Amino acid sequence: MSIFLTIINRKFKNIAGTRYERILRNYKEFFLTEEELSLPVIKSILMPVDRSTRNVPEEIYEVLSACEDAEVTVVYIMSEDACALIRQTLGEEASREFRQKEEEAGRELLERIARSLEDSGLKVRTRMFFGNKSEDVIRLSRERDLLVIPRLYGSEITKTRSISPVVMKIVHHVDIPVIVY
Amino acid sequence: MDQASIAIAIFLFTYALIMSERIHRAVAALLGASLLLMLKIVPWENVPDYLDLDTLLLLTGMMIIVNTAKKSGLFEYIAIKTAKMARGNPIRVLLLFSFVTALVSSFLDNVTTVLLLTPMLLYVTRLMELDPVPFLLAEIFASNIGGTATLIGDPPNIMIGSAAGLTFNDFLMNMAPIALVDLLLAFVFIYLFYRGELKVSSEKEEKLGSILNRMDEKGAIKDLRLFEKSVAVIMLVVVLFFVHDRLNIEPAVVAMFGASVLLVWSKESPEEVFEKIEWPALFFFGGLFIVVGGLVQTGVIEGIAEKLVDYVHTDAQALLLITWFSAFSSAIVDNIPLTATMIPLIKAMGAFFNNSPLWWALSLGACLGGNGTAIGASANVVVIGIAERERIKISFMDFLKVGMIIMVLTVGAGAAILWIRYMGV
Repeated sequence: MSIFLTIINRKFKNIAGTRYERILRNYKEFFLTEEELSLPVIKSILMPVDRSTRNVPEEIYEVLSACEDAEVTVVYIMSEDACALIRQTLGEEASREFRQKEEEAGRELLERIARSLEDSGLKVRTRMFFGNKSEDVIRLSRERDLLVIPRLYGSEITKTRSISPVVMKIVHHVDIPVIVY
Repeated sequence: MDQASIAIAIFLFTYALIMSERIHRAVAALLGASLLLMLKIVPWENVPDYLDLDTLLLLTGMMIIVNTAKKSGLFEYIAIKTAKMARGNPIRVLLLFSFVTALVSSFLDNVTTVLLLTPMLLYVTRLMELDPVPFLLAEIFASNIGGTATLIGDPPNIMIGSAAGLTFNDFLMNMAPIALVDLLLAFVFIYLFYRGELKVSSEKEEKLGSILNRMDEKGAIKDLRLFEKSVAVIMLVVVLFFVHDRLNIEPAVVAMFGASVLLVWSKESPEEVFEKIEWPALFFFGGLFIVVGGLVQTGVIEGIAEKLVDYVHTDAQALLLITWFSAFSSAIVDNIPLTATMIPLIKAMGAFFNNSPLWWALSLGACLGGNGTAIGASANVVVIGIAERERIKISFMDFLKVGMIIMVLTVGAGAAILWIRYMGV
């Protein structure tokens, strides 16, 4: 260390003592962390919904409305496995009826959510297809910046857990930020 | 060896110890004082004459007010608010932080001001991804210039005010206009010197503005009631400083009154508040007063004043001599011992010259001379020390290149204003 720095450090210790460290500790509460400092750029959002989604909370629309120019894909995935199971156990007719009811419920839900999102100033795309709820959401999220998912997505009717196992699996397998509501 | 030679030797020995910082400056001053008392060069019964109680009590009162107000989060609030107002624009950051530093420094001690504002300034410059050095230097200069403006802004002014019986308004009338001109000069110089480094893209500026806006200044207030009471008492004290001469009360009494009102009103634990008083600084002052008292007691100061008269013949020459001598000396040695030494000298010069402008010359030189070198003032040391802790390099020469120009510019402008005011054009 140079003589200059030695003198400065000695003088600093004599003048300020430990006051700077104490002040710095106070400030740390207000300085934004590295994570908070980086504002993520969100251009595309995946929003899977299903029968467990009765209402999307207003707060979600408020948060998403901050992502200007983002496109939200609202997707309704009907369970391929459930349809196959009905076909095998109750027959083709029951399976068609299930499919029809699912499609009707899905269409109605997608339209309602799309309207609210458009009212919040977002571009919206809707999709509905048969597939695997967890695998397809994980696959679709690879091309998106944010996943917004209801906590009971893909849960059984009895809803024994506060977060469904399907959501837990999805959260563990995606690399993008997730909002669980 | 006669008493005068011993007093000079002890004085020089104390100065050398203070400059070396081998031992704490308060201990060095106390050692010098006790040696003089032990050798009976300063008789015990004369100690009250040399111990400037006005200065010591004014400093104590202000320390109590600042330490109590600090607990409320008042200063963090000011720093966050300043950062938000700057909105990520480098020129605005430079201007606003300089102005706020100067303003706060004119009422509170410079060390506390820079200790509280520097972390926020560094944070903002880091966000802007700009070299923090120009901003830190501007803060140092602003703090030293701001301290020049008022009676309570810088310890030399407190000492001068007490010794010469000058009021708060006297300082406002004489030194505040100089400080204002000097602040503007320093800002323009820093801007011109570093203008290439004070740029960020408009996109980045907008992003920074939104990041800074996410900081909540109200969250900095730890105790809203204490915050409100602190602001009220500080305002009361400032108002009382403005009228203390009309009420015929000493500035020290105003500070002690403010401190006691705040302690009673806030119900803060006195033990805790008194513990935080900077006792080393007070002992440093006390020790120095006695060490310099040794020179007065033995007639050394009077002898120097008489010798000076052989070379200095007019008030104007005396004004220039005191200004530039104290400025260059203050750039090298601490301005507190320098002022303590110069005060009895100017008093003695009063027998030969009109010493009224000389007090302002001393204030100008002692306060602004500190801008000259990295070790010239406590604010410089504190900011450079913080920079060093944050791995920002400001070398002695880096500082000297800018500091000397600022010192010559500001002291020169101040001397010119004093000249016009007291000597005519």
